[in-house]
Amino acid sequence: MPLSILIPMVILGIAGIAVLLHVLGLTRPASFDTQEDASRAWLREFPEHHTTRVVLSHDRHAALVETAQGPGVVWAMGADSTARFLNGAQIARTRKGLRIALPDYTAPRIHLTLDADEADQWPSLMERQT
Amino acid sequence: MTDQLTYPDVVNFAVPFFIALILIELAWIVIKHRGGRYETRDALTSLLMGAGNVASGILLGFVAYGFFMALWAITPLDLGTSVAVVVLCFVLDDLRYYWVHRFGHRIRWVWASHVNHHSSQHYNLTTALRQTWTGTFTFMMIVRAPLILLGFHPAMVLFCGGLNLIYQFWIHTETIGRMPKWFEAVMNTPSHHRVHHGRNARYLDANYAGVFIVWDKLFGTFVPELEQEKVDYGLVRNLGTFNPIRVAFHEWVGIFKDVTQPGLTWRDRLNYCIQPPGWSHDGSRDTSETIKQKHLAHRPEDAGTPGFEKVTSR
Repeated sequence: MPLSILIPMVILGIAGIAVLLHVLGLTRPASFDTQEDASRAWLREFPEHHTTRVVLSHDRHAALVETAQGPGVVWAMGADSTARFLNGAQIARTRKGLRIALPDYTAPRIHLTLDADEADQWPSLMERQT
Repeated sequence: MTDQLTYPDVVNFAVPFFIALILIELAWIVIKHRGGRYETRDALTSLLMGAGNVASGILLGFVAYGFFMALWAITPLDLGTSVAVVVLCFVLDDLRYYWVHRFGHRIRWVWASHVNHHSSQHYNLTTALRQTWTGTFTFMMIVRAPLILLGFHPAMVLFCGGLNLIYQFWIHTETIGRMPKWFEAVMNTPSHHRVHHGRNARYLDANYAGVFIVWDKLFGTFVPELEQEKVDYGLVRNLGTFNPIRVAFHEWVGIFKDVTQPGLTWRDRLNYCIQPPGWSHDGSRDTSETIKQKHLAHRPEDAGTPGFEKVTSR
């Protein structure tokens, strides 16, 4: 197939599908209804590291967890979730909450939407746990 | 000897059908509220990975093709271009696919290229298009060398490989449950391939087939989809990014970091490249074997059931 046809078809196809999915409401991030939901999502990534405490964010799209091995964050990745320990994390305040920079190529930055109280408290909770 | 042989570039011609089938699957899911899930950024990442795969094929395809044509120049054999030869080529190339795919899960250097195909936590037709950008660097084109040396023309081999890829598109769906029994027995199906995309301990390193599931049954890697254990899609450690660059290169970066650690022997450095994913010099990480062993330690009743038949206790 000539590139003059293939390239526009691929670009329009990708853009069209992305717009359609968004219009259909399929961009909503996952949320954790309860602490147990967040704990389950954490254990899905780290089945050997049980949570001793879970702090849900007000929008329920993320949670700060405590484990015997240290603190971690579980957060929405699209309609699903993932989690990371906070070893080596650099935490910075943003207008919407916090930005956590990790020395991890697969999860370099976690953007958390937090209210002002959470954004004040979470860094100290993270540091207290480490 | 047949030097000038051309076949249609079937994968590129299939692009409009890929798009149409994605729209049909999406419509089915939205209307029926079952049969799978879609999410915008996940699907967009998958589609961009697919576009990148096509681009890398255009940019780097000459490497494999040049290698194949060099082999073609030296082989004294030419099986011709009859339909029977094309069919035989297709079957043997599918056997080649099985082994390349198995290597892709058992050798970290090859996994670094293939991992991105498994990096979605969704399983829909866009997942099929989440293909590698770095396949050339695995050197797995070597596994096709016997086909060329046996007298299958490189263009025919690549044509059959394209048909194989197209076949595998439709099996990336939750919309289809099970196919008729005879079909499930011989062919790779959505059910068999869902197992392959599972991160459940039971489903790790299973069902490598491209078109014919008989290879897995023959070589002992077949695991059926069990009603009582829903497939959990994605990687053992799921990514925290939708950035296609990071999706494409993250395992290569991981290999680089591991290989360049101070204080390792050269054997350790080599092993970080060629041992299965999860291998580490100090045993601090989990391979699929240790994940299965740990699962059985918690659920010994699963011992001997599909996916755990060959697992040795720790």
